[in-house]
Amino acid sequence: MKRGRCKRTLQDISLYLCIGVITLFFILAIIPEVFAPFPENKRFIPYMDPDTVHFLGTDDMGYDIFSLLIYAARISLLIGFCAGGFSIFIGTATGLVSGYFRGWIDDLLMALTDIVLIIPKIPAIILISAFLRPSIWILILILGFFSWETTARVVRARTLQMSTSGHVLSARSLGFSSYQILISDIVPVIFPVLLPKFMLTITGAMISEASLSFLGLSDPTMNSWGRMISDAFTHGGFIREMWWWFLPPAICISGAIISFIRIGMVYEKPGQETMVE
Amino acid sequence: MGASFLSFHYLIRKIFRYLFSFVIILLVVFLLPRMMPGDPIANLVGEDVYLSPQKILELRSAFGLDSPLHEQFFVYCMKLYQLDLGYSFHMHAPVSSLLIDRAAWTLLYIGIAIVCGIIIGVGPGEKAGWESEKWWAHFLSAGAVLISSTPPYLLSLIVLVIFVYHFGWFPLKGFYDTFDITSIIHHLVLPISVLTVFYASRNFLIMRGAVLSEKCQLYPQFVRSLGIPEKDILSGHIRKNAIIPLITLIALDFGFLFSGALFIEIVFSLNGMGSLIYDAILSRDYPVLTGSFLVISVFVIMANILSDILCIVLDPRTGRNE
Amino acid sequence: MVLTAAILACCCLPVMAEEKILRVATTNEVKSPAFIGDYTLGLFNHISNPPLMQMDQNGKLIGLLADHYEVSSDNTQWTFYIKENQFWSDGTPVTGDDVAFSIQMYGKSVPNAGWIGETLTDTAVDGNKVTFTFNKPYTNLALEFTSYSILPRHIWESVENPNEYTSTGPYVGAGPFYLDNVDLNAGKVIFKRNPYWKGTSPAYDAVEISWFKNEDAAAKALESGAMDTYWKYASSYPYAAVDSLKSSGTFEILEKPTSGLTFLGFNLKKEPLSDISFRDAISYAINYQEMVNIATLGYGRVPNRGFIPPAMDGYISTQAMEYNPETAKKKLESAGYKDSNGNGIVEGNDGKDIVLDLLIRNAYSREAELVKEYLEKVGIGVEIRSVEDNTWFELKDTYNYDITLTRTTPWGMLMHANWATGYFDSRRTGQGVLHTVDDPVFLELCDNILATTDTTLLNRYAQDVQNYYADNLPGIPLYWKNDITPYNKKITGWYSNPLYGIMNEFTLTGVKPVA
Repeated sequence: MKRGRCKRTLQDISLYLCIGVITLFFILAIIPEVFAPFPENKRFIPYMDPDTVHFLGTDDMGYDIFSLLIYAARISLLIGFCAGGFSIFIGTATGLVSGYFRGWIDDLLMALTDIVLIIPKIPAIILISAFLRPSIWILILILGFFSWETTARVVRARTLQMSTSGHVLSARSLGFSSYQILISDIVPVIFPVLLPKFMLTITGAMISEASLSFLGLSDPTMNSWGRMISDAFTHGGFIREMWWWFLPPAICISGAIISFIRIGMVYEKPGQETMVE
Repeated sequence: MGASFLSFHYLIRKIFRYLFSFVIILLVVFLLPRMMPGDPIANLVGEDVYLSPQKILELRSAFGLDSPLHEQFFVYCMKLYQLDLGYSFHMHAPVSSLLIDRAAWTLLYIGIAIVCGIIIGVGPGEKAGWESEKWWAHFLSAGAVLISSTPPYLLSLIVLVIFVYHFGWFPLKGFYDTFDITSIIHHLVLPISVLTVFYASRNFLIMRGAVLSEKCQLYPQFVRSLGIPEKDILSGHIRKNAIIPLITLIALDFGFLFSGALFIEIVFSLNGMGSLIYDAILSRDYPVLTGSFLVISVFVIMANILSDILCIVLDPRTGRNE
Repeated sequence: MVLTAAILACCCLPVMAEEKILRVATTNEVKSPAFIGDYTLGLFNHISNPPLMQMDQNGKLIGLLADHYEVSSDNTQWTFYIKENQFWSDGTPVTGDDVAFSIQMYGKSVPNAGWIGETLTDTAVDGNKVTFTFNKPYTNLALEFTSYSILPRHIWESVENPNEYTSTGPYVGAGPFYLDNVDLNAGKVIFKRNPYWKGTSPAYDAVEISWFKNEDAAAKALESGAMDTYWKYASSYPYAAVDSLKSSGTFEILEKPTSGLTFLGFNLKKEPLSDISFRDAISYAINYQEMVNIATLGYGRVPNRGFIPPAMDGYISTQAMEYNPETAKKKLESAGYKDSNGNGIVEGNDGKDIVLDLLIRNAYSREAELVKEYLEKVGIGVEIRSVEDNTWFELKDTYNYDITLTRTTPWGMLMHANWATGYFDSRRTGQGVLHTVDDPVFLELCDNILATTDTTLLNRYAQDVQNYYADNLPGIPLYWKNDITPYNKKITGWYSNPLYGIMNEFTLTGVKPVA
């Protein structure tokens, strides 16, 4: 009994910790000026070691790394959130329509998801980015587009289940339109499934964005954590062993991702771990 | 065996769906360069390739650009059937030979990593799901989550910085320095280890999750009430069901094998499929891109079909409700 | 006892006969084993297949495969005398036929050497004398012939398409080393000692050039001792890695000014870039000292309006580039570019805000970021478009940009009519050139230079060119730089020339480990 309570408190602590981390990042994203010691376009002497003025030193062009880190939160989170949101939206819509109406719409939509599933995501994203040189919003569209198919499948499966359930059938016989039924009856039920998926797509988008920045394919004027690491890699950060340049953004990315995953696990009972797919 | 007419029907439907998707991909790959704005020759051959006017005429007739589209498509499919994927002017070689060269090494290091990932990840994952209250189960799970939430290139970079730059224990580039077994092993240890760790943590988490959800179902409790020992329940009943989602993923792993582990190859400077595709993207080498795209799609589809078959064999209920 | 010693000696002997390998690190990557078709291999193959001429460490042209040359008085006929006693690595002697075949092959089959195909009318071989006759005068053919590797006719005459030919080796060469193996999986090219080389015998049995995907990796390889030296075509050792290299203690760092520089180029066909006052205003907007600090980390200096750096023959001191944003703003205003709607951006003659399309190759993103900031401070909007190398070549050739940021190489500065004219003369084509100036004054100046070899006249022309640059600013030099060459203290005998750095025959035959 005591162990059970201990474990639950530990789980609660981890949840609150993660919520705290995400909140912190959000605050940094919204009002970076309050926390960053210097504006992100102010330059100093390049390659300075960390000291009391520049907590994380300066990069190859002389920007204060600590300030860059704080300002980068905005782009990294924005991309993750919007791409995730876009992906969930398409996935849910597709899954709902597919599972509820069935028939040839179902087959068609599922065939479409097959195609997206078959396409090797990373090369495709790289290919499109290399050709389009995307600005941030196109990047969000692309990242969102390549991650909706698992959501669609799960939503469809649940919708299939639900559409034969008691209260949906009765709602239908009462004459409610499909749209109303979908929104008011089915969606609330699948929400516990959606939340973890949402978190997953956010993290997927953040990882992809960081990877694209690493390859130098994202918008070069966009300052994100991934781009900071990429800069360190190509502008002498490694040979000068400037761990304070590439480790902090790395920790931020991983920290954000872990926190999102933990939040996504909030609906999970000990027996149902759906997060990991 | 348990596979019934319904399952068979389900499989056939799925295969048709895959074929349909493949045909769509094939059409897109065929039509895109011919329909895109700009010179179709440039779109087909790659940009920035210098071609003399005579060469351009040769290419026009070789591609059959002056004949109607459906004829071109037929010729295209015939060529594909003979495994002629075109010629890359950037790399001065036929696409198929490029793919074969790179595929061998890619198969080696990714294949080993997948296998190691299975060995290291599945067993412990199963145990961790079965005995999920133990401290080591939590510890390993946390570790696996940590690794899965790190972008792959990041882990490779950190490994690179620590073991190659800082300690200097491993080399900076290449599949080998001299073509002998010690050099190859020395060069591949780090890339394979990083990949294995990723595959293993993902396999671990999935297996654990699957076992956990199976554990809560009614049938293990029923079987337990019959007096069957714990570990037999695990091995005889639960494992069979839990492994199903994992099979799909592992099959996909092999399918996507040919896209190479791009980030591993860039960080560790390996000359595999991943860097071939990446270079082709950067230099707009369309023949290589379309060729590798098609090959990857084919393999992924085959892997999907294989995993569907395996799922039906393992769980004959699959597809019955669709 | 004696027996043990004998056995020990026998065990040691095979170890002592180990190959001595010179290991070179580079970031020029070999993409495919195409001896002629691959750009990087085409650079490396100068080692195994020496061109006719080379440059000595002072920039003077001396013979390599050729001993000397003669030119007809009208500069249309060039006769090269091939050195005696040179042999290919398969034992056959090098003859004039090989030279004639190679040059003709380049003219016929290699796109970048198309000019040879268009202007070479006759090639005559007489023993070791090869005479080339052109349909127009060339005063700098000797310079051009430092870049074409000579191939053995008996091997290459049966190759149908030399530009597409691939093989991982070995290739027959006449240099002190021949190309033995192009190993893409190990990331290196291996040269082995030419058994028929009759010149100074190299101390090393093999030369391995390994390419790394990024500069940090190459620098690390150097510091850890895995590589003996670093070489990248027309580039300095990465400035960011110099400090680390110095502290390792095993390298002597040599700093030498180079004629290669980075500059801002203008699309003179478009407004407002066609307006000299506009360009002049821009020239005051750039913080040159900060550019030097960031781009060269101090291993460079603020350039002059004359464009040509002191490293070149014929350099004259022109007015230095000045950073004065106030002057820039004033010049913009007096030239008629005002910000009438107060949005911080001046308008052009068409009344629209001036937002310049800055096209760059990815490598110049930092300089571009700075330029954008500087220009925006004085009221000129800038949009940066960063593309792949090949795309950049295409776009700048079709004048699809407003301004661009690019570099010159020592070879490029000498090309065409010398003194960077190759970059601006609208009649010259090439991968890195802008061909934007069609001002008849400039073109005539180029033609005059090409038509003479008189040094006093040429010096005067050099002055004219630099004054032209200073007055007309077809390109604004952003910084002059110094090349850092690391010399491994454990090895002696390094020789460096302005064109190819340490990759030359003197180095390869002269280096040996310090005893």
